[in-house]
Amino acid sequence: MTAPFPQQALAIEIADLTVAYRDRPVLWDVDVQVPAGVLMAVVGPNGAGKTTLLKAVLGLVRPAAGTVRIFGQPIKAVRRLVGYVPQHREVDWDFPTSVLDVVMMGRYGHLGWFRRPGARERALALAALEQVGMRELANRQISQLSGGQQQRVFLARALVQDAQVYLMDEPFAGVDALTERAILNVMRSLRAAGKTVVVVHHDLQTVREYFDWVLLLNVRRIACGPVAEVFTEENLRQTYGGRSVALEVKRS
Amino acid sequence: MGPLDLLVFLFSDHTVRTVGAGAVLMGVTSGVLGVYALLRRQSLLGDAMSHAALPGLALAFLLTRSKESAFLLFGAALAAWVGALGVIAVTGYTRLKPDAALGIILSVFFGFGLVLLTVIQRLPTAAQAGLDKFLFGQAATLLQRDVGVIGAIAVLALGAVVLGWKEFKLLSFDPAFAAVQGFPVRLLDVVLTSLVVLAIVAGLQTVGVVLMSAMLIAPAAAARQWTDRLSTMVLLAAVFGAAAGIGGVVLSSLGDSLPTGPTIVVCASLLVYGSLLFAPHRGLVWQRLVAARRQRTVQALRVLAQLYWLGAQHGDPFYPHPVRALRALVGPGVEGSLQELAARNWVRRLPDGRVGLTEEGLAAVRDFLRQAEPEAPAPASSEAKAQGGEAGQ
Repeated sequence: MTAPFPQQALAIEIADLTVAYRDRPVLWDVDVQVPAGVLMAVVGPNGAGKTTLLKAVLGLVRPAAGTVRIFGQPIKAVRRLVGYVPQHREVDWDFPTSVLDVVMMGRYGHLGWFRRPGARERALALAALEQVGMRELANRQISQLSGGQQQRVFLARALVQDAQVYLMDEPFAGVDALTERAILNVMRSLRAAGKTVVVVHHDLQTVREYFDWVLLLNVRRIACGPVAEVFTEENLRQTYGGRSVALEVKRS
Repeated sequence: MGPLDLLVFLFSDHTVRTVGAGAVLMGVTSGVLGVYALLRRQSLLGDAMSHAALPGLALAFLLTRSKESAFLLFGAALAAWVGALGVIAVTGYTRLKPDAALGIILSVFFGFGLVLLTVIQRLPTAAQAGLDKFLFGQAATLLQRDVGVIGAIAVLALGAVVLGWKEFKLLSFDPAFAAVQGFPVRLLDVVLTSLVVLAIVAGLQTVGVVLMSAMLIAPAAAARQWTDRLSTMVLLAAVFGAAAGIGGVVLSSLGDSLPTGPTIVVCASLLVYGSLLFAPHRGLVWQRLVAARRQRTVQALRVLAQLYWLGAQHGDPFYPHPVRALRALVGPGVEGSLQELAARNWVRRLPDGRVGLTEEGLAAVRDFLRQAEPEAPAPASSEAKAQGGEAGQ
């Protein structure tokens, strides 16, 4: 018998993953192994397939080929172990509901069919809001939130999912420095608690400071590993349109 | 006869009572399900589905030769469903955008339905199906049995909404997150769309295929104006739907042969316009008033700031100045601003017509200037003088 899955060394194992929209490949034959307990950045240019990769891991898009395993299991078997922070632009923030309500949605999967959230879910949601520094805004209408606050609401909603693996799609997009710090602290405390955190990230300047593991992606996997080893000039050039960089080098 | 007697008279009338019950049940159902159609941006899908119901009605009649509403409405529901699938298929498999897909499905189905209606009218048996009543509705033809069918639909649809409250809420707000948590989003989508179809079908005999989408959208749109809570919105939409139903039935039974269905829709539309205009926070009138008040406050603060700066030049923040001087600096409208400021006790008026800051006014203007220009503090010298003046008080 194998050990219970959270103890396995690999949190996420992606093998030969290919995803295509119509006839255009978005991900091509991608192999990625994410050890448990790392804080990993996914970097690459626009259209590199970063969001698609997260969605494929979550089972939201169907791959043309390849497999995704979470702690050695298919995603369907381990949904409770995976938390998700989508891009905050993906929903209609004029929806008639409150911050607390949205955060409690992170408990719906645990509640299962037809059971309504109660005092326990409320307490968990308030604790998560506290953690992201939004406790006072619990009863605020979500239409009155700033971009950074929306992002933190989604982060809190993922926290109450109480998962082992967290997938976050550009959580730093459009937030001010203070919010970025707050979100980073939450990520670090997740890692300290032994969770695995995968973050689609755009700011190459902060990769070394924020993350210990990195995936360089541009439709294909360029490199994946510890930041110190694979976050190199050469790999970055390959990821971000090496040809144009090479041309400039020749000219000079 | 007073209005109350009139109502009593109306509701003692058997036909009005039956029609009223049908209209209320229809209004509640379409109001509640309309909330989900509205929030999921499927308002136009509702329109396409209700138009698509027409050929279903006609085919059901051709096949069964029965005017039994349960059969006809079953056919209508089926066709509405096929119409919705058609929209999804056209959007998914062609490069057409959803609005074009809706237009295509709506006109194809509706046109086919009209053709079938003509065929039915020319049938030798001349069964006089009276199917054209489903175009604009003919509430007066509602029988108690029809009301029973509508009631059953209402109970089914509302029961499903109550049972799957949290699931439908999550689906409407963030379907991807619902899927991540393991909810079968496709199935939930199908169920919710089916409930919308049921709501449409419930109103076909009263309001008709052409206007039914209004009953789906209007109560929900009106309700959205008044609240920021989904539960309140659903309840309000139910109330608005019922009110439109009753209003339409009462008005049409008062007036000379006013058609009930369109009158119901007009009532629902009036609720929407009233809500768009007068609802707090989201209503246009409210927003205008808030904007005007904000404008007045800013104007008043500008006058206050002028007084402060003038006072600073005299080395005394409370130094009074003639209104004339302020008008020259700020422009007309200074009188209104001064009234506003005096009401807040931020300025005092002297008997000789001059005005000056009060203690509260000084605090307010400093606060305002700090917020307005956090980068640029007031010039050090005048600030120091102002401080000195204050200390001298």
